[in-house]
Amino acid sequence: MTRPGARRRAAADHRLGARPGEVIDRSRTIEFRWNGVTHTAHPGDTIASALAAAGVRMFARSYKYHRPRGLLTADIFDPGAILQVGDEPNVRAAHRLVEPGMDVRSQNTWPSLRYDVKAVNQLAGRFLATGFYYKTFIKPERLWPTYEKVLRQFVHAGEVPPDSEQPYFDKRYAHPDVLVAGGGPAGLAAALSAARAGARVMLVEQEHQLGGHLRWGDADDLRLRDELVAAVEAEAGIEVLTDSVVAARYDDNWLALVQRGLPHVAERLIKARAGTLVVAAGLIERPYVFAGNDLPGVMLSTAVRRLLNLYAVRPGRRAVVFTANPEGDAAAADLRAAGVDVVEVDARHGRTVVRATGRGGVEAVELSDGSRIEADLLVTAIGWTAPTSLLNMSGANPVYRPDAARFVPDPGATPDGVIAVGGIAGDGTREELVAHAEAAGREAAARASALAAVHAAGRPDGPAATPRPAEPVPALGLRHHPELFYATPTGGFVDMSEDVSAKDILTAVKEGYDSSELVKRYTTATMGPAQGKLETVNTVALVAHATGKTIAETGATTWRPMYTPITLGALAGRKFEPVRHSPVQPWHEAHKATPLIAGQWIRPEHYGDPAAEVRNVRAGVGIIDVTPIGKLDLQGPDVPKLLNLLYVNKWSKLGIGRVRYGVMCAEDGVVLDDGVTGRLAENHYLMSTTSSGAGTVWEWAENWLQTEHPEWQIHITPVTTAFASINVAGPKSRELLARLTDVDLDNTAFGYMNVRTGTIAGVDNCVLWRIGFTGELSYELHVPASYGLHVWEALMATGADLGIAPFGVEAQRILRLEKGHFIVGQDTDGLTKAYSAGLDRVVKLDKSDFAGKPELAWQAARGEYPMLVGLRPLDTSVIPEEASQIISDGGYIVGRITSSRLSPTLGHPICLGQVDAHLADPGTRLTVRLRNGSDTTVEVTAEHAHFDPEGERQRV
Amino acid sequence: MSDIAAPIARTALSFPGPLRTVDGWETTARHATGGLRLTDLGPLVKLTVRGPADGSVRTALGTSFGRTARPRGGPLAGALVVGSGPGEWLVLGAPGTGGELLAGVGAIVADSGEFASVVDVTHGRALVRLTGEAAPLLLSKVCAIDLTDRVVPNGSAFRSSVARVVTDVVRDDRADGAARTRSYLLHCERSSGQYLADSLVDAGIEYGIEVGAAAADPI
Repeated sequence: MTRPGARRRAAADHRLGARPGEVIDRSRTIEFRWNGVTHTAHPGDTIASALAAAGVRMFARSYKYHRPRGLLTADIFDPGAILQVGDEPNVRAAHRLVEPGMDVRSQNTWPSLRYDVKAVNQLAGRFLATGFYYKTFIKPERLWPTYEKVLRQFVHAGEVPPDSEQPYFDKRYAHPDVLVAGGGPAGLAAALSAARAGARVMLVEQEHQLGGHLRWGDADDLRLRDELVAAVEAEAGIEVLTDSVVAARYDDNWLALVQRGLPHVAERLIKARAGTLVVAAGLIERPYVFAGNDLPGVMLSTAVRRLLNLYAVRPGRRAVVFTANPEGDAAAADLRAAGVDVVEVDARHGRTVVRATGRGGVEAVELSDGSRIEADLLVTAIGWTAPTSLLNMSGANPVYRPDAARFVPDPGATPDGVIAVGGIAGDGTREELVAHAEAAGREAAARASALAAVHAAGRPDGPAATPRPAEPVPALGLRHHPELFYATPTGGFVDMSEDVSAKDILTAVKEGYDSSELVKRYTTATMGPAQGKLETVNTVALVAHATGKTIAETGATTWRPMYTPITLGALAGRKFEPVRHSPVQPWHEAHKATPLIAGQWIRPEHYGDPAAEVRNVRAGVGIIDVTPIGKLDLQGPDVPKLLNLLYVNKWSKLGIGRVRYGVMCAEDGVVLDDGVTGRLAENHYLMSTTSSGAGTVWEWAENWLQTEHPEWQIHITPVTTAFASINVAGPKSRELLARLTDVDLDNTAFGYMNVRTGTIAGVDNCVLWRIGFTGELSYELHVPASYGLHVWEALMATGADLGIAPFGVEAQRILRLEKGHFIVGQDTDGLTKAYSAGLDRVVKLDKSDFAGKPELAWQAARGEYPMLVGLRPLDTSVIPEEASQIISDGGYIVGRITSSRLSPTLGHPICLGQVDAHLADPGTRLTVRLRNGSDTTVEVTAEHAHFDPEGERQRV
Repeated sequence: MSDIAAPIARTALSFPGPLRTVDGWETTARHATGGLRLTDLGPLVKLTVRGPADGSVRTALGTSFGRTARPRGGPLAGALVVGSGPGEWLVLGAPGTGGELLAGVGAIVADSGEFASVVDVTHGRALVRLTGEAAPLLLSKVCAIDLTDRVVPNGSAFRSSVARVVTDVVRDDRADGAARTRSYLLHCERSSGQYLADSLVDAGIEYGIEVGAAAADPI
C-alpha cells in the first residue's frame, strides 16, 4: 500500500531481461518505501537487489566516518547494506526479501542519507584514530556520563521504538544423525549420500535457496544444482532448513541454529545434537584493500554475479574487473553478456588496482601502471577466505597455506564428529568436489551410526556395540592462488563494518599491539557484524607486514560462537514460565479476586477488602483456598524415624488420628520449614509443608533417605495437588462444616490438633485437620482435587446464612500476625536458627539426633542470639514498613521489622521483628528508622501473639 | 447434613467451548477431526506404585523403568502400566475403575512380601494424550529428548522437562487396524496441567492442533 503523498520512483532502469537462474517472480510487482520514496520489486528480490535495480548505489553511511557505502558482497554479510525496516533495526538488506509495504530506511543519518551531517567526522579523522575510545574518554571520570550521552548519538545502529510490537521467538530441539552446514553443491551431495546411507540428515543453508555458487554459475552449474536439489527434495531422510544458520558448535556436536523465514515467527532457535557435523560452509570472497575501496560501486565478483544472475540487475555500465582467478573471469564474462563495458585487470599478469576515486561512488580506477580508467563499477576477485568458524569451535585451528592464499582446516586436528567438505576443505572440479562430499557423507553417516550404537549399548539391556574407528575422508587438493591482500599497506579500509583502515592496523602494531588478537581488540577490526569473515585475513596480512612475520606465523584470531550475529530474541527463545493453579481458580477469577503471584502459584490476594475479610473470620466464618500448602504422603513402618530426624521436636508417640506441629532445621540449625503432620493409619502419615517449601522438603527428605538411611522402609509421594485444601476459619466454622460432613465435629470427639477422614459435601476420602493459622476455631479440609471447586461452592452456598465470605492471602497474613505466627522466609531468614525464632519449647535437645542438633545445642549454650519478638508501635498512626531497620545504641542497626500490618481486630499497628538479644525483653522501647528517614518508637510485647495469646479461641 | 448437588469432578484442564459430564466428570465436549489432537484424559484412574526395582512387584506389574505393559488378564487387565521411574510405576485405568484397580494393585503389593506402596493420584495429576504424526515435531519445541524410534520406540516412557514442567512422557501409539498413529501420553502434577496443555496447544498451532477427542478414546 502506498502512503498518501509519498514520492514514487520511476520504474527500474537497471533490471535486465530474464536470466536462466533468476529467483524473482516477474509476474508480480510489489511496492515498498526507501527513505520515504516508493519503489517496486518482484517477489524474490532482496531489499538491496530491488534498490540496485532502481539504480540506488548508496545504501548507508559508515560506522565512524559516515562515508557513503554501497553493496560489497550483496549477501547477508554485506557491511554496506544494514538498514532499518519498520521497527526492526540492523536488517541485512542484501539478504532480507522485500515484502509489500516495507518501510526501509537508512540508519543513523541526518538529515538524509545523501547529506549526512555526521560525515563531518571524516574531517576529524585524525582525532578518531586507532583506539581513540581508550585515549579520549578516560579523564576526568566525572564527565563520563556526558561522554556517554554524546557517544550514544553516534551509535551506528537503528532504533527500536519503545512501543514496538514484541515479535514471537520460538525454540526447538533436533537430533539429526548428520547435520550439514551449508547447502552448496558439496553440502547437497554430502546430505544426499548420508541420507542414502540411512542417516537422518538436517541440511542447513543460510541463503534462501539451495545450490550455493551453482545458482549464479553457467549452464552446467545450473544443471548440477537442479539435479542435486531435486534429489535432496525427494529424499525423505533430509530435513532442509533454508534462511537458517548454524551459529555455534559446542562439545559433542551440540549446535545452535537459527531458523528464519517462518510464518508468524521472527526467528527460531534450534538446539541440535548431531551425530556428525559436516561443515560445508563454502568459501567467502575476500575484499581487496586499496585507497577508495569502500566507495559505492566497488564490489566483489560474487556480488556482481549474484546481482546479474539471481536478480537480473545490472550493477553498472562500465566496469573494471580486477581478477586473479577464474571466478573473476566469469564475472567479467557475465558483465559483458549483460551489456556492460568491461576492462579486465589481470592480477596474474602483475597488474594491480591501487585506487578508486569518485564522489559518492566510483568514477575512476587507477592502476599500478599509472593508468586511469573511467568506470562506475570496480569488481575485485583476488581470493577467498575459508569460514572455518565451526571448525575452530570444534578445536581445530586452521593453518595458512601461502600457495592457496588462504587458511584451510587442519584435518589432523578435527574431531571425529566433524568433517569438512567443499571449498572450505579444498579445491577441485565440480565432479571432484561432489565425489569428495559424497564420500564424506557416507562416512558421516557411518560415524553417526557407530555413535548411536555406543549410546544404545549404554542403556539397560542395550545391545553390545563394537567400536568403529573413524575412517579418514580422502583430502582435496588446493588450487594455486596468488597472495593478494592490499595494494599498499597504508591505503583503504580493512574493516568496513567498523571503519578500520589499513593505516589503523599499522598504527596499532606501532603502539605495541603486535599480535592479531591484540590488534583485533585495540582497533575493533573483525569485531563488526561480519565477524571477521571479510576482514580477518587482510588484518592478519597487515599485522604480518607490520611485524615482519609471515601470515602463518602471525596466525588468525580465534573464531568463537556465534558464527554470525543473531538476535537476543533468538537466544532467549520461547518463554516458558510455568504457572500453577488451584482447582478453585475459576471461582476466584469469576469473583474478581486480585491475583497474587507466589512463586509459580497464582493465588487470590484478596476479594476487594482484606480488612473486612479479617473481621469476618474473627466474627463469623470465612474460607481460604490453601491448596498450595505442600503435602507429602508418607508410608512405611519407619516414618517416625524420619520425622524424628527431620523435625526438631519429638514424633515417636504421635497417635493415629493426631496432628502435631513441627519445625525443620538445616544442618546449620537455620529454620528450613514448618508445618503439621498427621497420622492417618498405623504406617500412613500426611505431612504438610509451607507452600514455597514443598519441593525443598521433599528433596530434603529424599536426600536423607537415599544417602543416609536407605535401609529405612519409607515411601514418599508428593500429593500437594492431589488435594484441594480449604481452611474454614471462624467461630461459626463448626456450625457450617457440620452441615456438610459426616465427621463428628464435637470438640470432645474431634479436638484441636486432631485429624479425621470422611465425607464432605458428598465427596469421599477427604482429610480434615483441626488446626489453624488464624487463631480461630478452624478446620483445614483436604479434598480430592477434582472435587475442590464442588466443595468450595458447597461451602459458600451452605454458609450464606452464616455470613460466609472468602478471604485471601493478605487477610490470612494479618490474621496470623495478630496471632503471632511467624512465616518461614519472612520472619526468619538464612541465618535464623530455631532459638532465634522463639522455638525454645519446640526444640528437643534430649532427642538422640536430628538435623541441626549440634548447631542448635551450640546456640543454646552460647546464648546472645537475635530474637524474634512481638512489637507494638507507640504511635498508632505509623505502620513501620517491613524490612525497616531497628536502630539503637547510638545509631547501630540492632534488628529489623519482619512483618507489620494494621490490625483490623485491635485497631492499631502490630509487628514482628528480629532484635539483638539484649533488647528482646518485654517493654523494651526501640527506635525504627522509617523509609522516609524519620524515626518511630516500638515496644517489645510479652508474646509474639497480639491477639488471644492463650489460644482459647481455637480450642473451643 | 444439607442437601447438596451430586459431586462433580473436574479435570485440571479447561478449554473454551461446551462441556459434557460423563461418569461424574466434567470435561470439554470439543470434537477433534484434524491430524493432530490434544485430548484431556484427566478422568482416568492414576495410581503410583513404589517397590523394589527388580522384585516380585515388578514381575506382577509386567514392566520396568522406561517401558510400558498392557496386562491382558489378572487384576490389571485393561490397564496401562508405565515404568515411570526406577522402582516406580504409574498404573492408568478407565474412569470409574479406581476401586477395583486399587484393590488389584493393593493385592499385588500385599502379596509381594516386599516393602511396596500404592497411592491413588487420580485427582492429583493431569493427563493428556497427544496424537498425530506431527506429535514428535510439536514435542521437539518443548522437550529436549530425541523422540525417534531408535531412542523412544512405541511402548517406552521417560520423565523429563516438557515446557519446563516435570512430565512423564509415554509413547503409546494408536492402532487402527494395520495403521498406527503416533501418540504420547503426558502426565504431570495437576496444578501445572493447564499451563502444560496451553503450552502444547501454542506449540502445535503451526501443525494445526485441535483440542478434543476424535472418538471414544480408550486408554
